[in-house]
Amino acid sequence: MTLTALDWLIIISYLAGCMAAGIWMRRYVRGVEEFAVAGREMNVNLGIASLAATELGLVTIMYTAQLGFEKGLAGASIGVLMAAAFYLVGRTGFIIKPLRTAGVMTIPELFEQRFSVRVRWLAGLFVVLGGLLNMGIFLRLGGEFLVWSTGLPPHWLEWVMTILLGLVLLYTALGGMLSVLVTDYLQFLVMGVGIVVTSVLVLIHAGGFELVASLQAAWAGSAGMKLNSHPFNPFHGSSLGWGYLLWMLVLQVAAATTWQTVISRVLAAKDAGTAQRMYRRTSFYFVGRFLLPGLWGAAAFAYFAAQGGLPEGVSSLTAMPHYLGIILPVGFIGLVIAAMLAAEMSTDSGYLLTWATVIYNDLITPCLKNPLSPKGRLLLTRLLVLGIGVFLLFYGLWYELPGNAWDYLAVTGNIYLASVFTLLVAGLYWPRANARGAYAALIMGAIGPVTFLLIGKKFSIPPEVAGFSAFALAALGMILGSLSAPAQTARPAAL
Amino acid sequence: MKDPFVLFWAVLILGSIAWYGFLVFYVGIKAGRDIRDLIRTLREQQAGNKKS
Repeated sequence: MTLTALDWLIIISYLAGCMAAGIWMRRYVRGVEEFAVAGREMNVNLGIASLAATELGLVTIMYTAQLGFEKGLAGASIGVLMAAAFYLVGRTGFIIKPLRTAGVMTIPELFEQRFSVRVRWLAGLFVVLGGLLNMGIFLRLGGEFLVWSTGLPPHWLEWVMTILLGLVLLYTALGGMLSVLVTDYLQFLVMGVGIVVTSVLVLIHAGGFELVASLQAAWAGSAGMKLNSHPFNPFHGSSLGWGYLLWMLVLQVAAATTWQTVISRVLAAKDAGTAQRMYRRTSFYFVGRFLLPGLWGAAAFAYFAAQGGLPEGVSSLTAMPHYLGIILPVGFIGLVIAAMLAAEMSTDSGYLLTWATVIYNDLITPCLKNPLSPKGRLLLTRLLVLGIGVFLLFYGLWYELPGNAWDYLAVTGNIYLASVFTLLVAGLYWPRANARGAYAALIMGAIGPVTFLLIGKKFSIPPEVAGFSAFALAALGMILGSLSAPAQTARPAAL
Repeated sequence: MKDPFVLFWAVLILGSIAWYGFLVFYVGIKAGRDIRDLIRTLREQQAGNKKS
């Protein structure tokens, strides 16, 4: 697929508009409060646009399409569970209501109010490590999409993504959350149109009934490629299975209440009610977040199965962008590329700002004897955004990850979610919880998954067992640690 | 097509496409107003700070 002049016009117009809006918002940044949480002036619909844009990145589209390619539409069950988790949290206010009411800027800040400044620092370290290592793979997977869908030379990947990251860094470092919100809005519009158009074109090309028949034939083993997982029934033994789905539900509730990039929208909301409405109204969006790219992946499977197999050099991860590059008509590819750039940029900007805020707020500030001036705080946060950008370039783009590092990434994400989720639940809802329990939960939550990583392959431990164990060990640490401290030192629930 | 799971996913796919289209249209208009209000609030705060 070669980009035409019209395609380039669409892409350049989008990038220019986005950059202008992002840089323009710089004039309203007076301090860290505006920079990190937009002065807590965000209304519900802007929150929906920002949350939707941030939590649907190009990396999301790549791995959800890969799920569709390998497991058919059943792979999108995780999206249904994610939607259920967001709706439940939005309906009940579980964790997010007291968290927003507390008026903190980050999750670890709450732990100083509830436990101690050292717990805040240690939790901040977990949040930053898990978050940065998680984000380390974004650029490479985003670049893979652009290279495979446009037919760009593969050696351009690093340079294209470096320039893209440079653009994101420019407006994020200047305007902070204010720039992120405005650019998220534009990116939400472009991305939404691109996803709808692509899904309709894929359905027209693959045909609804024909796609079902192709996947069923592949499952039965009578197509050009064999599908080893039931394409429609997630409860089937060959597919995800009950245990894995239950584990995913727990993980999604933990992510909805603990993942700092999501929570930063809660903390930027005008009040707790606005945050809850934002969750409820965004919930169904997460079904499409998994299902629509999953549909593209399943259609790519059916297409290549009819061709007799994947072309040389194409994997289950790159099959979908390769397929889109083949089927998208001229003129549409520019819109789709602009949409995917929007998905990548909105996620990168939100994540850059979030992790920089946690480093400033929870790792550096507690260690300072004399507080910085307002200008000094703003400069430090901006420098941290740039520093994380440099880290991303070297870690995720110019440095080839060895195979087992990917396992390590999955485990670090789990350490963060299990331990910090346990601290939040106990800190907000269990008056007997104390700092000793918090330390034990953080350490036990870390030891569990790492141990499973080391012996998991030897004993073939399923991911759901490793995942549940991390939560169980963190909870056990919190309960035993808190009960081992004298009762009079335990504070009542702060909120 | 007798498989209930096929029907389930078909409904969700069409529902998701419709929902995304609706969100872009409805939230697009509403969030645009939110941005206008946000900028107005920030301008008022800046003007207030200059006066004081």
